[in-house]
Amino acid sequence: MITLHNVSKSYNKNQILRGINLRIEPGEFVSIVGQSGAGKTTMVKILIGEERVGTGQVAIGDWDITRISKKEIPYLRRQIGVIFQDFKLLPKKTLEENVSFALEVSGGTSAKIKKVVPSVMKIVGLEDKRRRYPNEVSGGEQQRTAIARALVHQPKILLADEPTGNLDAINANEIIDLLLRINKFGTTVILVTHNKDIVNRLNRRVVTMEQGQIISDQAHGKYLL
Amino acid sequence: MQSFFRIIKFSFQDIARNVWLTIATITILLIALFSINILLTARVISDNAVVAVREKINISLYIKPDASDSEIMALKSQIAGSDKVKSVVYISKQDALESFRDKYKNDQAVLAALKELGRNPLSPSLTIVPKDFSQSENLINELRTIDSPIIESRDFSDNSVILSKINSITKRVNEVGMFLIAIFILTSLLVVYNAIRVAIYTHRQEIEIMRLVGASNFFIYMPYMVSAFVYALISILIVISVFYPFLSLLQPYLEAFFTGYNVNLLTYFVDNFSLIFGSQFLIVLLINVLASLFAVRKYAKV
Repeated sequence: MITLHNVSKSYNKNQILRGINLRIEPGEFVSIVGQSGAGKTTMVKILIGEERVGTGQVAIGDWDITRISKKEIPYLRRQIGVIFQDFKLLPKKTLEENVSFALEVSGGTSAKIKKVVPSVMKIVGLEDKRRRYPNEVSGGEQQRTAIARALVHQPKILLADEPTGNLDAINANEIIDLLLRINKFGTTVILVTHNKDIVNRLNRRVVTMEQGQIISDQAHGKYLL
Repeated sequence: MQSFFRIIKFSFQDIARNVWLTIATITILLIALFSINILLTARVISDNAVVAVREKINISLYIKPDASDSEIMALKSQIAGSDKVKSVVYISKQDALESFRDKYKNDQAVLAALKELGRNPLSPSLTIVPKDFSQSENLINELRTIDSPIIESRDFSDNSVILSKINSITKRVNEVGMFLIAIFILTSLLVVYNAIRVAIYTHRQEIEIMRLVGASNFFIYMPYMVSAFVYALISILIVISVFYPFLSLLQPYLEAFFTGYNVNLLTYFVDNFSLIFGSQFLIVLLINVLASLFAVRKYAKV
């Protein structure tokens, strides 16, 4: 369960988040929508410990991460998988190596890497292309690699910040289908997007943000803006 | 253990990918280390020169052959009582003769002349060792004022001026050397800091991803610490491999210059190998690790 209680955040004199109250239950699929500058990405950054809240409280389960220490951040990030619009893959590593890298740098054993990496590559449907480099596959396949990398720690939460922003409609739908499949396994998925078609197709919970505030929270929502 | 090998692997990848930066960093470290060792060599040579010149300082009072033992011992005690005197050695007629024979054992002409003479022509003497060689002139003045009927002659072959010049040059060389070392240490710090900064810049994407996927801070900064260690190790190994042949080349010239004295730089550096190069390695390692820590903290936000 993710809880944000009265969270505010400002940079200099610009208030980015204003008194956000949000509760996301385990296993939910939540879309957070809003126009640019609404505060969506700041909220994502707070959830992964990249930014600190100004006021308020943030908790992941029983873990209060409001004042999380630098030492604890790596442990938080192993519990929350994150994917971004620009994929963030290493161009000189194969798709499989990009996925393994996440386990290598967090101290995973070789045995674990050998066991986990092929299985996540299979989940995202890239077992046949695992030896290719990012520039040899499509944008959709690159994003699927990023999802596989996010899954290697078997996170309870998957944060997708504009994952379809760089993709055409077909690839975008494939990624959303993959996220839905991952959600079916019990992983909480938080999708940050401003893609109206996707949000409307999903027919899941939609939290709408505007100027740093939540203006709507619908259980089976549509894109309002 | 696997993490350790991965850190080593990442570090060597860094070094190989930034090969020119590695070369520049090691070159600066080499210049600093060479300066330190050249200064140390100069120090050893000057110390030997000081010893050689000190041995040339001869402050002796020659005693009349007919002086009694009690008179000689009284004079010896009087001189030894001075606060400028470290010790007074009494050399009897017989000791002087034996020392003379030993000194000229290879010079048959001198020994033949001595035999021809048929008696011991040498006088007993008191050899005075000053407490402070730079103050030997004051001691000589004091000895000149001693009025004793048993003193036959006084020999003050004073090299204190040369000695004080050597001391002064040594002091100046040390001062300039320390200044140069300070500059090289500062330069090394900046160069290593910059090298790590550039390495971080070229790996910023990798570091960003590492942080994103939950790599521990230890895993992010350790490859740079290992690189710092490798820079220090390579530098010190190159210095050792170049400096010893250099000393071997220098040694014959030193032996020719300090004829009759045991001046062996090579032996000095071999005997003190661990102290000299161990401490230099530790200092360079400390500089590298500090510079890397600052760079990683600032640019990798660890």
